[in-house]
Amino acid sequence: MDEKEIIRLTNSIFEESFEIEPDRLKPEARIFEDLGLDSLDIVELVVGLQKKFGVKLRDSEKLREIRTLADVYKFMLEEKVRLEKGDAPA
Amino acid sequence: MGLNRVVVTGAGAVTPYGRGVATMMDGLAAGKSCVVRMEGWENQGGLKSLVAAPAPLSGEKLIPRQKRRSMSRVSIFAVQAAEDALADAGLAAGGIPADRIGCIVGSTLGSASAISEFYETFLPTRDISMIPSMLFFKSMAHTAAMNVAQYLELKGYVMATCAACASGLQAIGTGYDLLRLGVQDALLCGGSEELHPSVTGIFDLLFATSTKYNDSPQKTPRPFDADRDGIVCGEGAGIVVLETLDHARSRGARILAEVAGYNTGGSGDHVSQSNRESVTRCMRKTMEDAGVRKGELDYVSAHATATVQGDQAEAEAICEVAGDAVPVSGLKGHMGHTLGASGAIELIATIGMMRSGTILPGLNLERVAPECAVINHVREPLSRELEVVMKNCFAFGGVDAALILKKA
Repeated sequence: MDEKEIIRLTNSIFEESFEIEPDRLKPEARIFEDLGLDSLDIVELVVGLQKKFGVKLRDSEKLREIRTLADVYKFMLEEKVRLEKGDAPA
Repeated sequence: MGLNRVVVTGAGAVTPYGRGVATMMDGLAAGKSCVVRMEGWENQGGLKSLVAAPAPLSGEKLIPRQKRRSMSRVSIFAVQAAEDALADAGLAAGGIPADRIGCIVGSTLGSASAISEFYETFLPTRDISMIPSMLFFKSMAHTAAMNVAQYLELKGYVMATCAACASGLQAIGTGYDLLRLGVQDALLCGGSEELHPSVTGIFDLLFATSTKYNDSPQKTPRPFDADRDGIVCGEGAGIVVLETLDHARSRGARILAEVAGYNTGGSGDHVSQSNRESVTRCMRKTMEDAGVRKGELDYVSAHATATVQGDQAEAEAICEVAGDAVPVSGLKGHMGHTLGASGAIELIATIGMMRSGTILPGLNLERVAPECAVINHVREPLSRELEVVMKNCFAFGGVDAALILKKA
């Protein structure tokens, strides 16, 4: 899975679950302020990422640092690397 | 201090005919059945009744996502009916002090589809980490009530009456009680329900569903008919706007009807079987509350689910309390049994009959069962000035409810 595929899968969650038009899904878009998600949506986002990527993320402390869409891409990329190494959750 | 008089000033409905009270009244007047054979239900192991009356879901995307994310079908139906009722009443939610208007919306068990989704996700692994955050809000027992309140930004009473098939009428009756006590100025009251094979399955297990008409769905259910064989589930929502008469008059509102009496009570006898004495007591107490004597009712909208025992018990009770001359019909032959919504939807249809001056007959009543022949069954549209009418609802758990409306 390359970075392009991670972005595509992540964006699909924002389109399907949060009904956000694709042209608004820019890497610099802030999750809360620009895309209009709230704390309940973040739970939904985590469940969506877990389903799309087949990983467990709920225990990850790094989730709290996410602010922008680019942060989500970066987080998932790191998760992928971590999983490939067989590390424990960050 | 005397009690307030309470009136109905608006109504909204989503029924198996579609959205809108006028759509429902047209369908009822045309004698159109909404019952169909449900695709895929034959794959539900053990389910014998394969028929139902589904309501079309439409326009839900007009509800903003963050309001809609906590709604399953039961809540979408309720919200749409509530929005229409408020508009019908000419009452914008902001046109009244926020804490003086609320809602009471009942359903049988919240959302069967959301509850099912929860356990389908959870049970294979016993892992909660894949459960969507909104699933609880979609499934809880008061999901319809809280979604109506959230969507319309109501800040008064928010309550859910959960008494199975009496839920909707209990909601309206409870609203009537609160308004006559003066604790609110207006309330959106009614019931909502969504179809799910597990719900039909519950009735099926108890041999209460219709099973003989899977290949001719429009022939069932058959309230009071000799060939009736049980319940057919439906779905939808009915919501009325109740107001104190003083409040309605102060804003020059159009008044659809006055709520004149209400009672609800338990049988204390059996969880599923109708109890004639209990039903009789409930109707009698409702008539006492309304100051209506035997012979003074112009119409009874029967619960009449088309079960063999229930229809007989109700017919005998109506005969005893209201007499053998009062016209009686039930509407489940048209729309199925919309369970928690049925009391509200069928009360709204009754208001439609009051306003048109025509009593509509039930569907599929071709040969009145001898044991139900003790009352005056309406067999064809009947022109009649309706001054005083009664709506009955009887629920699993031995819960009865009845409500009387008078022409305003």
